[in-house]
Amino acid sequence: MKNLYLPITVDHIARVEGKGGVEIIVSDDGVKEVKLNIIEGPRFFEAITIGKKLEEALAVYPRICSFCSAAHKLTAVEAAEKAVGFTPREEIQALREVLYIGDMIESHALHLYLLVLPDYLGYSSPLKMVDEYKKEIGIALDLKNLGSWMMDELGSRAIHQENAIIGGFGKLPGKATLELMKKRLSEALPKAEYTFELFAKLEQYEEVEGPITHMAVKPRGNVYGIYGDAISVSDGFEFPSEDYKKHIVERVVEHSFAKHSFYRERPFMVGAISRIVNNAGTLYGRAKELYESHKELLRSTNPFANNLAQALELVYFIERGIDLIDEALAKWPVKARDEVTLKDGFGVSTTEAPRGILVYALEVRDGRVAYADIITPTAFNLAMMEEHVRMMAERHYNEPEKLKLLAEMVVRAYDPCISCSVHVAKL
Amino acid sequence: MEGKIRIGFYALTSCYGCQLQLAMMDELLQLIPNAEIVCWYMIERDSYEDEPVDIAFIEGSVSTEEEVELVRKIRENAKIVVAVGSCATQGGVQSWTEKPLEELWKTVYGDGKVKFEPKMAEPVENYIKVDYRVYGCPPEKRDFLYALGTFLVGSWPEDIDYPVCVECRLKGNSCILIEKGEPCLGPITRAGCDARCPGFGVACIGCRGAIGYDVAWFDSLARVFREKGLTKEEILERMKMFNAHNPKLEEMVEKIFQGVEE
Repeated sequence: MKNLYLPITVDHIARVEGKGGVEIIVSDDGVKEVKLNIIEGPRFFEAITIGKKLEEALAVYPRICSFCSAAHKLTAVEAAEKAVGFTPREEIQALREVLYIGDMIESHALHLYLLVLPDYLGYSSPLKMVDEYKKEIGIALDLKNLGSWMMDELGSRAIHQENAIIGGFGKLPGKATLELMKKRLSEALPKAEYTFELFAKLEQYEEVEGPITHMAVKPRGNVYGIYGDAISVSDGFEFPSEDYKKHIVERVVEHSFAKHSFYRERPFMVGAISRIVNNAGTLYGRAKELYESHKELLRSTNPFANNLAQALELVYFIERGIDLIDEALAKWPVKARDEVTLKDGFGVSTTEAPRGILVYALEVRDGRVAYADIITPTAFNLAMMEEHVRMMAERHYNEPEKLKLLAEMVVRAYDPCISCSVHVAKL
Repeated sequence: MEGKIRIGFYALTSCYGCQLQLAMMDELLQLIPNAEIVCWYMIERDSYEDEPVDIAFIEGSVSTEEEVELVRKIRENAKIVVAVGSCATQGGVQSWTEKPLEELWKTVYGDGKVKFEPKMAEPVENYIKVDYRVYGCPPEKRDFLYALGTFLVGSWPEDIDYPVCVECRLKGNSCILIEKGEPCLGPITRAGCDARCPGFGVACIGCRGAIGYDVAWFDSLARVFREKGLTKEEILERMKMFNAHNPKLEEMVEKIFQGVEE
């Protein structure tokens, strides 16, 4: 008689943004099927904003995701500005990147300490770590508060920023605030380094070791960062951002409200580790030193390296933030906003959100959105994530409880934003 | 309430920003000794969706058939149900559309099939009784602090029944609507944010929703907007961004345009 196997399922993956589950189906021949069920409802953001006034659509896009609302806002604004033929002044661009860095710091700190670390220390929730791990929780809150505060000052608030608008900002913080921001950033640097040392000690499971194709935005000006106009692939290929549809194919899959993405018929990965793999040569400062001494751990072949890559980025973006503020201060006083005429046109912006490449393509006609396509990092990652969960399952399907935790840990290493992945999809 | 207060935080379709706002509050650490987190998937792996709680916080709009079942189950299990944020209280920005579900679906998924049942986004109160509402997209930290703090001392938090303009004037901001002529929704939007966006020189988009108690004067504001040159469609579009399910909005705006040639 054939053996009967119950599916190994996690209905609701905890400590990630959004609602998703894992389903692993086992048969006599081993793991038969692995599915990441994305069960959160769709929100049709592109369909909703077609025909709407550009400014109002731009107010809605950040609502796709709270963990990276600044990333959505700034990428949408850049796509819109490209569409209407406007280029922001350098100092405005620098301050936008500082706002984006606030998002990066907050998001990485939350992900690493509150979502990832409890697994390694044997806790179900970060709230339960408070007594035993005072120092770590303290650092988490300090870094998170720093990122939130930067977004408060530059974006109007830490979630769903309204202050970043076409043409610049509604209002800019004063010089004294920016000086204070520099001071607080430099005070946070040791905490970021502590985070890096801590995460360098955590296990990167060999079960999921194997070649991965990485994709990342090629940074502008050859300085490691967020904005860029081309995408680089770890196989050496490179293409302009506008051509994303030629090289990335999306498909609807029946167990998910989010589509899956493929490059040359294969899944690929985006995120902090992909940025490091593809762009490490453009790092500088303390992060560069740490990268050189920890190259082996920041390798391209293990999704768990993404955790350490985020920790490295905490160090990097703190130093980068200080430099960008200096660039803006060198031109002080800075006018907050330029008048922009909304000409008809089409624009594509690709930036590096905390979780990887974020694509916005917008067409503007008569001041309204005529076409919108948004692809989020988690949508890019889903197919690859499934493959890594499968690798984990193949080794542990005889220990369902252990596998459930390990499968969740694989998913968490990607830092998925499930709300993002379902709320958008292309036309 | 005796012993530890049992709290559940449940998410429907949303951006998770309300939970994130709560999770980001340092004050949360002071609450923990007095509370038991029964369900909060975003930060607690040992979460139980089907257990009794004293207070159930629900974020998100009801957007799938599965979520209809979920809110009913939460209601049965909870003493107090709190709808949190613009999605749960007003249906959220995902309600900002006149297009039918089939068209939205086709636009995004083409002929692709998915094994879950989607539906148009709706506020939680369309399905279950809601006892208290925390407004905003996202809610302010002080909204959570006030509601939780008040519940914890065994009292009932009050609702805000005055517009953003009150706070905006108190802050001494220049008026975006009158002085700059931009379509600011401050006059009809529930206060509590300390006029955050107008403070940055950005017109209010109404994320805290229209003031309740029939004091959101959509008609008066529509008249001002009309004088500034906005069409009826433009006015409705803007006001509906966060108020798509408001039963009064459309008829009050219509009133202003009756007999007016556009």
